[in-house]
Amino acid sequence: MASGYPPPFEGTGEVKEGFLCPLCLKDLQSFYQLQDHYEEEHSGDDRHVRGQLKNLVQKAKKAKDKLLKRDGDDRPDTGSYESFYYGGVDPYMWEPQELGATRSHVDYFKKHRAARIDHYVIEVNKLIIRLEKLTSFDRINSDAAKIRAIEKSVVSWVNDSDVPFCPDCGNKFNIRNRRHHCRLCGSIMCRRCMEFVPLPLAQKLISGTRESLCVPGSPVQSQSPPAGGGGSGMGSRRGSISSLSSVTSMLEEKDDEKIRCCHHCMDTLLKRQQKLEEKDHTPDIVKLYERLRMCMDKVDEKAPEYIRMAESLNAGENTYNLDTAGGLRLEVQKYYELIDALSKKILTLNAKDDPPPHPKAMQLQRMIRYTATLFVQEKLLGLMSLPTKEKYEELKEKRKQEQEKRLQQERLAAQETLKKRQESEKNRPPPSTNGELLQAPRAPRMTKASGWLPSADSGNSRSELQDPLLQQIENIQSFLRQAREAQRTDEVAMLEENLRQLQDAYDQQQTSLAIALSQKLAEEESLQQGEIHRLKAREREEREHWGPAVGSTQPSVTWERCLGISPTEGIQDEENTEGEELTPKADRSPSSVRAFPALTSQEESPPRLRSLGGHVTPPGGEGQNSTSLNPFEEEDSTPVEEDPSNPFFEDIQREHKEVTNGKKEYNPFDEDEDVREEKQAETAPGNPFEEEEEDSDAGNPFLEASGNSPGVSTNPFDGDDDGEVLPDVDIIEEELLLQQIDNIRAYIFDAKLSGRLDEVELLSENLRELQHTLQEQKKKKH
Amino acid sequence: MNVTLAVKQYISKMIENSGTGMKVLLMDRETTSIVSVVYTQSEILQKEVYLFERIDSQSRDNMKHLKAICFLRPTKENVEHLIQELRRPKYSVYFIYFSNVISKSEIKALAEADEQEVVAEVQEFYGDFIAVNPHLFSLNLHGVARGRSWESSMLSRCTQGLTSVLLALKKCPMIRYQLSSDMSKRLAESVKQIITKEYELFDFRKTEVPPLLLILDRSDDAITPLLNQWTYQAMVHELLGLNNNRIDLSRVPGISKDLKEVVLSAENDEFYANNLYLNFGEIGTNIKNLMEDFQKKKPKGQQKLESISDMKAFVDNYPQFKKMSGTVSKHVTVVGELSRLVSERQLMEVSEVEQELACQNDHSNAQQSVRRLLQNPRLSELDAVRLVMLYALRYERHSSNMLPALMDELSRRGVSERHRKMVKSVVEYGGKRVRGSDLITPTDAVAITKQFFKGLSGVENVYTQHQPLLHDTLDQLIKGRLKDSQFPYLGASSLRDSFLEEVMSATGQSGDRAQGSSGRHGNRR
Repeated sequence: MASGYPPPFEGTGEVKEGFLCPLCLKDLQSFYQLQDHYEEEHSGDDRHVRGQLKNLVQKAKKAKDKLLKRDGDDRPDTGSYESFYYGGVDPYMWEPQELGATRSHVDYFKKHRAARIDHYVIEVNKLIIRLEKLTSFDRINSDAAKIRAIEKSVVSWVNDSDVPFCPDCGNKFNIRNRRHHCRLCGSIMCRRCMEFVPLPLAQKLISGTRESLCVPGSPVQSQSPPAGGGGSGMGSRRGSISSLSSVTSMLEEKDDEKIRCCHHCMDTLLKRQQKLEEKDHTPDIVKLYERLRMCMDKVDEKAPEYIRMAESLNAGENTYNLDTAGGLRLEVQKYYELIDALSKKILTLNAKDDPPPHPKAMQLQRMIRYTATLFVQEKLLGLMSLPTKEKYEELKEKRKQEQEKRLQQERLAAQETLKKRQESEKNRPPPSTNGELLQAPRAPRMTKASGWLPSADSGNSRSELQDPLLQQIENIQSFLRQAREAQRTDEVAMLEENLRQLQDAYDQQQTSLAIALSQKLAEEESLQQGEIHRLKAREREEREHWGPAVGSTQPSVTWERCLGISPTEGIQDEENTEGEELTPKADRSPSSVRAFPALTSQEESPPRLRSLGGHVTPPGGEGQNSTSLNPFEEEDSTPVEEDPSNPFFEDIQREHKEVTNGKKEYNPFDEDEDVREEKQAETAPGNPFEEEEEDSDAGNPFLEASGNSPGVSTNPFDGDDDGEVLPDVDIIEEELLLQQIDNIRAYIFDAKLSGRLDEVELLSENLRELQHTLQEQKKKKH
Repeated sequence: MNVTLAVKQYISKMIENSGTGMKVLLMDRETTSIVSVVYTQSEILQKEVYLFERIDSQSRDNMKHLKAICFLRPTKENVEHLIQELRRPKYSVYFIYFSNVISKSEIKALAEADEQEVVAEVQEFYGDFIAVNPHLFSLNLHGVARGRSWESSMLSRCTQGLTSVLLALKKCPMIRYQLSSDMSKRLAESVKQIITKEYELFDFRKTEVPPLLLILDRSDDAITPLLNQWTYQAMVHELLGLNNNRIDLSRVPGISKDLKEVVLSAENDEFYANNLYLNFGEIGTNIKNLMEDFQKKKPKGQQKLESISDMKAFVDNYPQFKKMSGTVSKHVTVVGELSRLVSERQLMEVSEVEQELACQNDHSNAQQSVRRLLQNPRLSELDAVRLVMLYALRYERHSSNMLPALMDELSRRGVSERHRKMVKSVVEYGGKRVRGSDLITPTDAVAITKQFFKGLSGVENVYTQHQPLLHDTLDQLIKGRLKDSQFPYLGASSLRDSFLEEVMSATGQSGDRAQGSSGRHGNRR
């Protein structure tokens, strides 16, 4: 009964492991306890036994079926979800919720709009057609009378006598206030209410409409002009009349380059024009924005891929190629730079125009920039770095060794279990006697075996899965015993039958397992020997390869060591310092506790008070400093924020102080510009990003590594020459430096955004240092 | 049954419907708070919504490269604004969503204004309430009642809000109301009317046990809001003021600039989510743990990062560190301020007496304690008035009522006339005459024995003895023991089995807004 497994085969509920009582599923820490528990609690529990037995037998059968079919994943992953809300109800436990009710009015809306739009479209098109007629002849060279005749033919003019007052302004018409006709609709208005359509506008409207009307099936196209005198005839006539000049032109100015129309028609035309303009005009911001989105999409697509690669590489696996990962990283980084550049461009778009753009437009630009920086921050920071080539080799090595070790362990475990199994099979007593006693020592070992268990090895995982079968057998044996004691013959018969079935199945498995195991053993033996050989060879190689490098006085090599490429010392150092740093902190921690005397003092406070903070366990045992009735009182003298003994608060305070002292600009973007400029000045002329790209392109370590010194990674004996190894080392370092510079830049930006000036200072100093090193390296290289 | 999620889903659906491209969200005053409670700015920015505008704002510019998502309440003014907007559209496409039922005639008016064919969508998305917590919503109404009856505009707003909640959750409930309150009845009838009228909207999949809408009147339990609470959210609400999950800390002495207003939202703040309902003492411990965690994660000093490996470590930890530092400084400030207020106003002692008043039945003791506290010069005016209010409610009909003497005490303390009047108002508002269920003395045998046992076993926490009436009411409801005589069903239905799905204590205070009586968070099931 080493590990009960009630629900897993049903696939529901959680998987319990340990020494579980099969009846009450209570976890009892050891086998003996379980035995005791069982005898005490359930021996008299006749009522349940029958049902339980059936249940168990069924389970065993199911288990057997599964095992024989070798159904791989019969243990569903029932990760228990950790509840967030302790009080109240955890909303995450609520049933999934679909979108609430909605109701659409689109159809109704469209129906009503369509009626309206039809009307509107017809009106517009009518105007355009008339406009076309009015402009299709040479107005400049025609005399006024002629023009007037044509104009009158396009639309029937309203009778003068019908309109005594201007319909727009209400003024009475007389000799001085003359009537004017709209050439587009024929209505009358006074001079002041009259408007003109300039010819260029008319042309534009006509040509624009013609394009859009080319769509087949449009109802307007088929509409025939209302009055006679088709447009085609007009053009041919114009030549003959041109010489004539009329007196009327003296009375009424000739409408050479414009067409009179009423307010209403003008309005419609203007609307139309606006629409036409907007159709082909896409503002710059849209173009930039589209590119920005494209870059973001690319990042969304590539970044997860890269992270997967980097994770696997950092774990020393060789699923992916280091070079491709490096390339991908570069690509993603380039996209980030592009996003940064584009969003900055959007931000500064039109900023220096003379009439400054609408504040809302500026706000939009700022928001886009802000979103882009958020995006970069979030994604770029998640971009882990790649191991260097050497480090990668090492990682691979380590992983291999680990695997070997595991393999060995597995082998041992397998041998042991095999031995045990054989033993137990031999010694297996008749079921009616003391089956349990013999099982006793077996149980702990089984759990041990499963502790070693990896996932990959099929032979071994099977042996673990086998346990349940054995356990079932045991269970049934004990039940059988009980049933016999209780003298229930029917149950005994049923149980015996089941037991037989189970044992058959088990025996079958045992034999097949034994065969498989012996085969594997032989295989492994040979494998191991090969492995050992290889290991030895590698060790030799390693010693020879690293020997000169460690001894070398070249500064770049020591750098290398700092970078942790040979991790042994570096890591140890780090650990030491960490240890040192941690201990004083631990010493100090009680003092931080004092910031909340309310919590600690509860030890001393009257029981009533304790009842409120009843669950508080005083952390440092530092309860002696307060005897006051009200635990909060103490804070009067030492307010939380000013407690000097608390290092943490000091920090926060310092941060706040510095923030408030230093000039704090709220527009992060201006500042950002400053930083960039600074940086540009520091590093080199030109865009730092561009420069960087050049660098990394020129010095792509992976390309060179495989091209110039192919031996380094594979066979160190060829590459013994110092001169060949070193530049490679240099370049890799550069890559790392560049990565660091990148990251630190992101942080500077980030820190600026949130206004932590001290951090910014610190970071920029580091940045300078890095850049300095980088340049030195470069010099050395050349 | 998660109202926050319901609104969130509505809004993301709106944004999703509008496709890609730069967007502007056009809202009115109320929908602005509806949206801002459930979405943070950065969250919504990620969905390409870059501008947030009020429909009634005059300073909007033509931006034809933007798509407009309009989320508006279906009010007359909004429709009028929208008609103007459509006549001269400033954006390229309009996706219009109303937060409640809108009439056909208004749709028609809109359709006729849309000559440029800029409208792509007209829908009703029923997010007409402010989802404060997953299980709590509010309508942020003030002055809902005049005397003991509804302000008619408020009644309709309340009805709209409630029906929209029902629609957002897809529930068509049975309705029960508190018989003693006329306002509850009116609201219940009003909701029922809407459900009948819009029956096709409420045509949801029938559940075995129909959901229940229980409408209660705050005046039935005027005591609970007068007590000081000791859980995190409730304390923040009571002492600092929590408005749409925002706290205004500008009055806190020595506050830094970026902490003037902080947002406490369980959605985005894990620490807050975990500690929402924990009591003050526990929060102290947790915040200490949080700080220790923070110290561990803090990059090794703000000192110079010496080597590349230092930098590497820093770089790796930086994002977490930054996030954490925000949380830590926020909560440390809030809890610090809370404990400052607690000690300054001597709330521990006040709370003890309050609980004694609310839960024990010892008049002479209680009145002595109240008097003693009233002598205390450090007691704030508000707390003094609240104590007297509690006393007045609790011992309203007691034979040796000391209220006049206590009132004298108040005026001797120099408590303002306005505050003193509140005592009388509170009795009028929530006194014995008004209450439907007996708040103070248990009547049935079970309750009496329960109290007896409680007395025997001793109280485990003096500051949280009081159990709000709501707790009992809901308890009875779940057990199916809520009396029909007190909480009748609306309509002829005789279904007995009810299942608690929803609670809404609708009515607030009338003109005499007694302090601290705004509905309290927490204590919801």
